[in-house]
Amino acid sequence: MVEFMKRALELASEALAAQEVPVGCVFTINENIVAESRNSVNITHNPTRHAEMNCIDTVLDYCKENNIDYANYFRNIDVYVTVEPCIMCAAALNILKVNQVIYGCPNDRFGGYTVLDVRKFYEPHYMLSGNLCADEAMALLKQFYKGVNPNAPESKAKKKPL
Amino acid sequence: MSSELEPPEKKPKITGNNDLCIETIDKCIENITSSEKNLQPIINDEFHMPIQLVKVYVGHIRSAKDISRTILILNERIPLKELSHLKRVRCQCIILCPTTFLHNMSSIQEYIEIHALELKDVFDYFKEINVPLLPPKIVSQYNETKKIWPCNFHPNTYFEKLVSDHFFSSYEVKLHRQFMGVVFEIAKWYVMHRGTSSVVGGIFENVNVTVVVNPINNRIVTISYDYRHNHPMQHSAMLAIDNVAKTQNGGVWSTDYDNNLLPGLEQELIDYLKEKFSHFGIGMKKSKTDVQEEKSVNDLHGEGCGAKTDLHGEDCGHKTVVHGETKEKDGPYLCTGYYIYMLREPCVMCAMGLVHARAKRIFYCFNNSDTGALNSVVKLQTVASLNHHFEVFSGFL
Repeated sequence: MVEFMKRALELASEALAAQEVPVGCVFTINENIVAESRNSVNITHNPTRHAEMNCIDTVLDYCKENNIDYANYFRNIDVYVTVEPCIMCAAALNILKVNQVIYGCPNDRFGGYTVLDVRKFYEPHYMLSGNLCADEAMALLKQFYKGVNPNAPESKAKKKPL
Repeated sequence: MSSELEPPEKKPKITGNNDLCIETIDKCIENITSSEKNLQPIINDEFHMPIQLVKVYVGHIRSAKDISRTILILNERIPLKELSHLKRVRCQCIILCPTTFLHNMSSIQEYIEIHALELKDVFDYFKEINVPLLPPKIVSQYNETKKIWPCNFHPNTYFEKLVSDHFFSSYEVKLHRQFMGVVFEIAKWYVMHRGTSSVVGGIFENVNVTVVVNPINNRIVTISYDYRHNHPMQHSAMLAIDNVAKTQNGGVWSTDYDNNLLPGLEQELIDYLKEKFSHFGIGMKKSKTDVQEEKSVNDLHGEGCGAKTDLHGEDCGHKTVVHGETKEKDGPYLCTGYYIYMLREPCVMCAMGLVHARAKRIFYCFNNSDTGALNSVVKLQTVASLNHHFEVFSGFL
């Protein structure tokens, strides 16, 4: 388990180097990696391109190319992601009925469990557990938010004159 | 007739069903665009909930001249932070504390003696009463609240507007209804050309449609319809977000129909819409006639659209070089400021996608009772801890 999270953390570091929010994700079936990706929101100008969504597309492409029924395929997938999936990704993974989701640190801003538990109003389809390599995952996030998101608009809050 | 036993694979057309569908859509378009009924904001339940009460102890003061001194002492020794919307005194009764403050103490007299000994003889009797737990948000709640106990209230004009039935001006209502008409025209086109839709109980189950509008110049930035039967994530809102990204030199999903004007959309559909809605600008890029028309429209309404109208001028003002270092911040950040018109209430995934995209307002026609995230199973716009909140409106039919 830890090795997959370590790989996800490597991907998160890649995201940080590319000035993206550092989140990495690995999909496995029977202990084999079948997809891996990281956040790519800024480069794509698409705020939904989270690591999990990129992995989902990789799997869907693979299934399409090989004439595999994706619905069955997703049921065997374990998701390792460095930060708790956001509300959108949690809903997406629930639609696809993945087997389980293992995350690093909690997501206090958008978490699909911490902020709004998606499984309270959607029938839960996967097991969820957290706190695997949480400190490393959090350290990467802190490093990112120390800097400035180059794509975000200027804050509307007026700065107090000195 | 035998040839019809094996319908073509790609477009399974059940003609009777389609005709019914189109008829229903036409009826909807007629109702939506001809009605002048204002739209309904979908807001926090707090605005509609009956007044919640909490049990408190009040003490009746023996001598009216002790009132002000007593309040000063109480405010210092037994502050009521959670009930600060209430005035502490009514006639000669003073709120002492919620009944839950007493814990293991035997009486309110004992509680007073422990926390404010100098007040032990000020009251001639105590009683338990119910007072309003929450500060009133709107005038109607204030009127109810003050019947129970005097309270402070600062009216908020925005909240009042939300609960009124005249949120939009009649001009705005007309405009929103026209854009919802565009949504239904796309649904109709979809039914005619894909034929995979069904109408159950008058509610569209297999089609969702999204139209993204820039309200500064009332141009349709992009449109999209559901591809979820091919790709489980390609709900129309998710596609619309990606299509907007394409207008900003981004985007990830390739479709069979990529088009410069409206990425991801068939030319045929665009032509269909242009014919129907010649008065709306479609696509980010403007022709010269569009620019002129817009100028005259802006002159007519004179609402100071001038400065920002050129935001999406001919080369869109986006000089973002995806692989380079320079990134201009002239264009909108994602969907900032955009209005999203949808046939059906979006699911949690799509609604949260629209939060990430920073959409300004979402308009939808049909509730989605199984998965809808703006009204039906949850109201995402009322989750306080999110970093962005859009406004949501419905009530087109």
